[in-house]
This record gives sequence, C-alpha cells and structure tokens, in this order.
Amino acid sequence: MTNASEVLSSIQSAFPGAVLDSRVESDRRLWATIDSNKILDVCKHLSSKLNFDHYSGSAGVDWIARKEMEVVAIMASHGAHQVVAMLKVKTPRENPSVKSLTGLYWNANWYEREIWEMLGINFEGHPELYPLLLSDGLMGAWPWRKDFKGYPDLTTGERAVAITTTEGYTEYHFPPTPAEIEAGTVVTQRPKYPSFREREEREIKSDSEMIMHLGPQHAMVPGPFLLDILVEGERVKKAFLDIGYIHKGIEKIMENRTWLQGITYTDRMCYVASLSNNECYCGAVEKILGLEVPLRAQYIRVILEELSRIQSHLIGTGEFLTLIAGVGFAPWQYMIMDREKIISLIESVTGARLTHTFVRFGGVRNDLPEGFAEQCRKDLPYMKSRIEEFIELFAQDPIYHARMENIGSISAETAKRMGCAGRVLRAAGVAYDMRREDPILVYPELDFDIVTGTRGDSADRIDVTLREILQSIRIIEQCLDKIPSGPIKTDVKIPKKIPAGEAYYRVEDPRGEMGMYVISDGGDKPYRVKVRGPFYATFQTLTPLLEGVYIADAVAIAGSMDGCPSESDR
Amino acid sequence: MDGIIEIITQFAAQEPAIFALIIGIIGAAVLSAVVNVGAMLVIWADRKVMSDFCNRFGPNRVGGRWGILQLGADAIKLFTKEDVIPSGVDKGVYVWAPILASAGTMLVAAAIPFGALHIGGKDYPLVVANMDISAFYVEAALSIMSIAVFMAGYSSNNKYSILGAFRGVARMIAYEVPMGVCVISVAVMAHSLNLVEIVQSQTVWNAFAQPLGFIIFIIALVTDLGRVPFDQSEAEEEIICGYSTEYSGIRWGLLYFQEYNNFLLGSILMALLFLGGWNGPIIPIPLLDIISPMIWLLMKVIIVIWFIILVRASLFRLRIDQVTDLGWKWMLPLSLVNLGWAVIIGSYFA
Repeated sequence: MTNASEVLSSIQSAFPGAVLDSRVESDRRLWATIDSNKILDVCKHLSSKLNFDHYSGSAGVDWIARKEMEVVAIMASHGAHQVVAMLKVKTPRENPSVKSLTGLYWNANWYEREIWEMLGINFEGHPELYPLLLSDGLMGAWPWRKDFKGYPDLTTGERAVAITTTEGYTEYHFPPTPAEIEAGTVVTQRPKYPSFREREEREIKSDSEMIMHLGPQHAMVPGPFLLDILVEGERVKKAFLDIGYIHKGIEKIMENRTWLQGITYTDRMCYVASLSNNECYCGAVEKILGLEVPLRAQYIRVILEELSRIQSHLIGTGEFLTLIAGVGFAPWQYMIMDREKIISLIESVTGARLTHTFVRFGGVRNDLPEGFAEQCRKDLPYMKSRIEEFIELFAQDPIYHARMENIGSISAETAKRMGCAGRVLRAAGVAYDMRREDPILVYPELDFDIVTGTRGDSADRIDVTLREILQSIRIIEQCLDKIPSGPIKTDVKIPKKIPAGEAYYRVEDPRGEMGMYVISDGGDKPYRVKVRGPFYATFQTLTPLLEGVYIADAVAIAGSMDGCPSESDR
Repeated sequence: MDGIIEIITQFAAQEPAIFALIIGIIGAAVLSAVVNVGAMLVIWADRKVMSDFCNRFGPNRVGGRWGILQLGADAIKLFTKEDVIPSGVDKGVYVWAPILASAGTMLVAAAIPFGALHIGGKDYPLVVANMDISAFYVEAALSIMSIAVFMAGYSSNNKYSILGAFRGVARMIAYEVPMGVCVISVAVMAHSLNLVEIVQSQTVWNAFAQPLGFIIFIIALVTDLGRVPFDQSEAEEEIICGYSTEYSGIRWGLLYFQEYNNFLLGSILMALLFLGGWNGPIIPIPLLDIISPMIWLLMKVIIVIWFIILVRASLFRLRIDQVTDLGWKWMLPLSLVNLGWAVIIGSYFA
C-alpha cells in the first residue's frame, strides 16, 4: 500500500528539485509545493506511475501579503491507494499564470475556469477559458481576490453605479460603467471571449437544427441551471451547460464571517445534505485544531448523516421518477411520505427540517432526545420493507426498463476519467466511497457494503441509490446498538482565533465525494474555504453524455445525476 | 306511456322533416349539456382518484370536503383570465384550433348512443344521429382532436409547441390504424357498423370474444387520449406543456376540456364496442327498469375511466420512438391477427 511519504520520495527521486516545500501530514495526506515549470511532468508521473487517476479538484488562493497566488491541485486515486496529494503551484500576483492540467485530466476544465474567473489566474493551454459561474458583467473584477471591494462596496457601502436613462428608468451598472469605458477614464481589463450565446449558435449547421432551452426555469431542472440542447427533430446533437444561476459566493462570504458562523453557510449549499456539509466544514476545522471528538458525538454524527443520506436519496430518486413518468406518478408521493418519517426523526434531534447547523467543532449541538432509539428501531424496519418494495416494483416494470436501461451509460474507465462522483461513479462499477477511502468518525468500526452497479446507466443509478439506503439503515442500526454514553462535546475550549494551518477533509455526501479545503491564517475568520462539491464534479460530465440521444432521454440522463445546482454553484 | 309513443310515431310518419329538426335541436342541446357536465365530472374524478391513489387529498375546499365545485371555480377563473395571444403566432390558426377541437368532440358525441331506455320490453337507444357506419365515423371523428393539436402546436410559433405537435401527429398515425382495424373486427362479428346494432349483437361481450382486440383497442384509446404512458405531446418535463404552451385563459381551458370530453366519449365507445354496452338484466323495479340499461352502461364507463386514471398514476411515460415502434411493429400486426380471428369466429357463428 502506497503512503504519502513514499509518494513524496518517488516525486523527489524522479524530479530532483521539483518539490520546493513539502509536509507529510499523515499516511493519507501529502502537501507539496511544486515548481510551476515541472507541475505537468509531476502530474504525468503521478498518474502513470503512482495510480493518481482521480483529479479531485483545485483551489486558488490569493496570498495578498506574500504578493503571490497559489493553485492547489487535489489529486487522489480511485481505490488503488488512499493518498491525497495537495500539489501547490505558486505564481506572482501580477499577471498570474500557471500551466493547465486539462491535457492530463479531462475534468480539470471547470475547476480551472472557476479559478480563472474568480481570481484572474490565467491557465496556459486551457481550451475554453470562458466564465462559468459569474455573469459577463463581473468578469475582470476578480471577486475572490482579497482586495476585491464588492458591490456594494464593503468599505464605503456604495451600491453599484446608478445611471438614470433618458426614459426615466434607473439602471445599475457594475463599475466600470459604459460611460467610463467610453471616456477612457478607467483601464478595462475585461478579457475577450465569445459569449455563451455566440458559442452556442456557432454550432448550428443547418436550418433543420434548433436550440432548445431546458432551463433555467423548466419542469426538468432540480434548481436553476441552463441546459441548452441543439436538436434536429427529436435527436440531441450537442448540449451546452451554463451554471451559476444561484451562485451565492458562499466561499467568499465565509471568509468574512467568524469560524462558527461559517457552519450556517454550509447548510445553505445543499439543503437536502446539510448535515454532510456541516460535518465536512467542522471536520476540516477540527483537523486544523487537532481536536479529538468524543465517541458519543461521533456516533450521533454518523447516525444523523446516514439519516440525512436516506432522505436525500429518497427525494432524489422520487424527483427523478417524476421526470420520466409525469407528476401524477404515485411512487413519488409514497417516497415523499416515507421521507417525512426520516425528516421527523432528524427534526426530533436537531429541531430543524432542512438546515440543521447541528455539528459543532469538537462535538454536536445537543444530545439525542428521549426515545429516539426506540422511534428509530420502529421506523427503520418499515423503511427497509418499503425500499425493498420499490426495488421490486421497478425491477418488474417493462416501461421502466425500456426508458432507463442503456440510457446515459458510462463505463468504469470513462467515469474515472471524467471524475464523476457518488451514485454515477458507483453505478459504473467503481467502488469509491469516502466512508472507506478516507474514513472519518467511527465508520471504520461499522460493517457496511459499498453498492456498485454494472452498466452505469440510469437504471443502475436508481438501483444503487435504493440499495445504498438499505446500507445506511444497516449502519444506523449498528450505531444504535453501539452508541456509548458520555459527553457530546470536547472539553477543550475552542479558541475564537483558530491557529494558522490548513486542512483538507473529505466526507461522503449523499451525492458523492465532498471535500473542503480550509486555510486559517490565525485570525477569527477563515482565510480561504474551498468547497469541492460532488455534484459540481458529476455535472461536468452531463454534456458529453447527451450527444446523440433523444430529448426524452436527455431528461432521463440529467435527472439521474441526482442534481443539486445549489451545491454546484455554491 | 304507450300512448305518447304512439302519438310521436304518428307525428314522425306525417311530418318527417319537422320531426327530424325538433329531435336534432333537442338532441344537440341535451348532448352538449350531458357531454360537458360529464367531462367536468371526469376531470373531478381524475383529480380525486389520482390523489386517493397517491395518498393525497386532492380538491377539498370548494364545494364541501369532496371539492365537487372545484371545477366550476376553475372554469370561472379561466373565463375571467386575460386572453393573451402572443404576437408571433399565426393568429387565424391559433384561434381556430380550440374551436375545431370542441367541434370535433361534438361530432363524436352526435353518433354515440349514451344508453337506452327500456320501455315496454323494448330498448330505445339514446342517440342523436343513428347512422349506419357510426362505429367507423366515431373512430374517425375522434382523431379530429389530433388535427386541432397540430394546428395549436404549429401556429404557436414555439419550439416546445412544434415538437409537441409533431409528436402528437406521429402518435396519432401510428395508433389510428390498429384502432380502426379493431373497430372493423368488431363490426365483422356484429355484421354491422352501426353502434346500436353492435351493442345489441353482443350476447357474449366482445372483450371475451376477441380479447386481443380488446387489449389493442384500450391501448390505442389511451394513446388517442394522450394520457400517460402516451402523453408525449404534452410531456411537461420535456417540452413544458407541448402544443398548449402558448395558450392561456379560456382558449387553453377549451383545449384542456376537450381532452376530457374525448376521455369520456372514448370510454363510452370502449364500453359499447367491447363491454356489451347497455346489455344487462333489467332491474324489476318500476321506473328503474326504464333506465336500467343506462345504469349498466354507466357502470361500465366508470370502470373504464377509473382504469385509465389508475394507469396514469402507475406507469412511466414511453419515449416517442418507442411509441411509434410499438404502434407499427406490434399493435398493427396483432390487430390484423385479431381481424383474422374475428372473421373466423364471426363466420362460424353467423
């Protein structure tokens, strides 16, 4: 089994002098600063020799005091070993530019685009450096740089510039305004690129083709995103995806809130998986602090996260089924009804139905209420029987098979290469689950299986989701048996100012691998929080899957991703 | 009672033209009232049965806890809504599409017997236009709705609408043919294309005499009505609302209402062709014996409607290519097999 120090020595021996700085945090975490000229070679070496076939994301950090910027590539492996390598590349703050990894890893595309539009770091060799989350009007403002003032200006409180038109309306412009640009009083740094619309219309080759909007307001979308499909008759020829319709800038907001306040923002990233998001953020902070969570608190966290997984899977599956069956489809209503039982269980502990803000640094907010275990033991067998019923129901439905089988199939190799997460990846047959790969809390002591599919199509995705619920029920039942009594919070006083440090923490979100990269500079607020969302990763693979399918299948594929645009946009 | 009938028969013999006119006007008035009120009840049943099946309540505020007046409230809302005609539409076609749909439905209703009155040991069928080829006529007139759908979708100048319109026509062509063959099979056994005679000839229900035809006909009927699993022309998860995307207010209401009119009429046709129509034992209670054929027909129609509603709640929607595949590759050959079966059985028992 490869561990972090072996990976480090392998890089050092292959490329002497490439590693400028390094830190082996544990067997599973390697932090290394790589010479920016050699990053491509090092990545090639990692992927070919050391099985680093999973590009998990990348984060940009603006070190304004050191006058430099950093791009951190997060590399891991799909099960060959458990090392996560955090490879940093430094670049000066004036005209920042680093080498793009898109040639090596297909899914680096979106991550690098995001860093480019947010921080203004240029990626050499990136094929399509277009804005992803931001609107065209904000390009060139580089909002995630530390010296960005914001609209309204955080220092002066001024709103965007208001201009009264000749008709008497008031228009708001982000500076610089058109008048300022015309007068030449400001230096515009706006990059030149074709707009989304232009890129789309370039692809229309004949009169028989047209572009259809599925979104941002459409019965198909689970949240606002724009999926444009170029259709000829009933066939989709090409798909275009535009996200960022509910980009809230949560990562930036968290930099301006205290450490504790940050927890509430993680809730809002994806409200059906808010407990996992809480866990991810708190876990990262605990790692910086070096805190040990009391055993009882660990069990409570696991129980609630698994309950939240069940309810997320139920609503995800149910919503998807209505996409191919119409809203009158009865099983969807039954899934929602069953989900209500789970929600009530969570509510009895946390007091909230969706946004819980329950996990705390070094523990949980409150203990389980009286009679929680009994209620769980009563509801879970019922839930189990219902899920088995659903599996049986879909297995014997011929129309279900006609609509779902071999629709949107991904092979295991492709799924790995594209960096899918969660049920899309596992349905393709890759047993990749953070609860095994990067175990946290008490997961190593629990007995559960990782459910995988074989074909990687929509039917498999539903099947994997439903069978995962059965595993979650198994986990909760074990936890209820094993849970010890004791404190629910650590005795250590959590300081207001978290000591300087950085951590990368991964949890298994209902949608797959979620990671948070948290940096502290010793202040009372995080210096940088980067969220590696699972749906963001899966979402990127949607457009290639839609080429050549029917319109109805496009809906069946997009729905099977178990989407949460709120989390992918953050 | 016999006296009144005698007077009417005498009048009819003396002044056939005036008699036909009076009967026609009364028939048209009664017809539109019966069909439209019936369709409203069907909409109500659709919502209520569906919600019951899905463990919901459904409409339960307007008109008591059963929400029986909900449809009236909806109709008032639709009538008083602003009538929006988008600027890009082909206005003539756009405006006439809902009217054609309504007219088509009434044409169907004219030839359908809504039951019979049992007076003096004899059945008097309640049909406005008792024509010789009524079975075939009804089946053809049912497809006028598809033309209206195409008009609505094509004139709307909307991408979703045009796709809905194309899907509607592709589906209609694929299923009208097996449906027509099924009607012919029934006619072969009954030795008549007249719906009244078809009903009267069913000593054994056609559903038992030709089970294959029964299954094909009900699938084709659900397709014709455009309900799940065959609602591709208005699949809201794919193409918003299909052909009626650009319609609003009462024009949308008319289009929507015609679907349910057709639902009702199609279910009656189903009961007449395959479930023995109004045949059944006469209830030996005064007054009830007169309408007992209607009671039997009503029960059968309700069962058919109920079945089609439950299909919607329990099945997935097929893709449009699967629909046409099913229509041409399975339904049409099987309906021809059924026709052969009907010819053999029909000529053996003739």
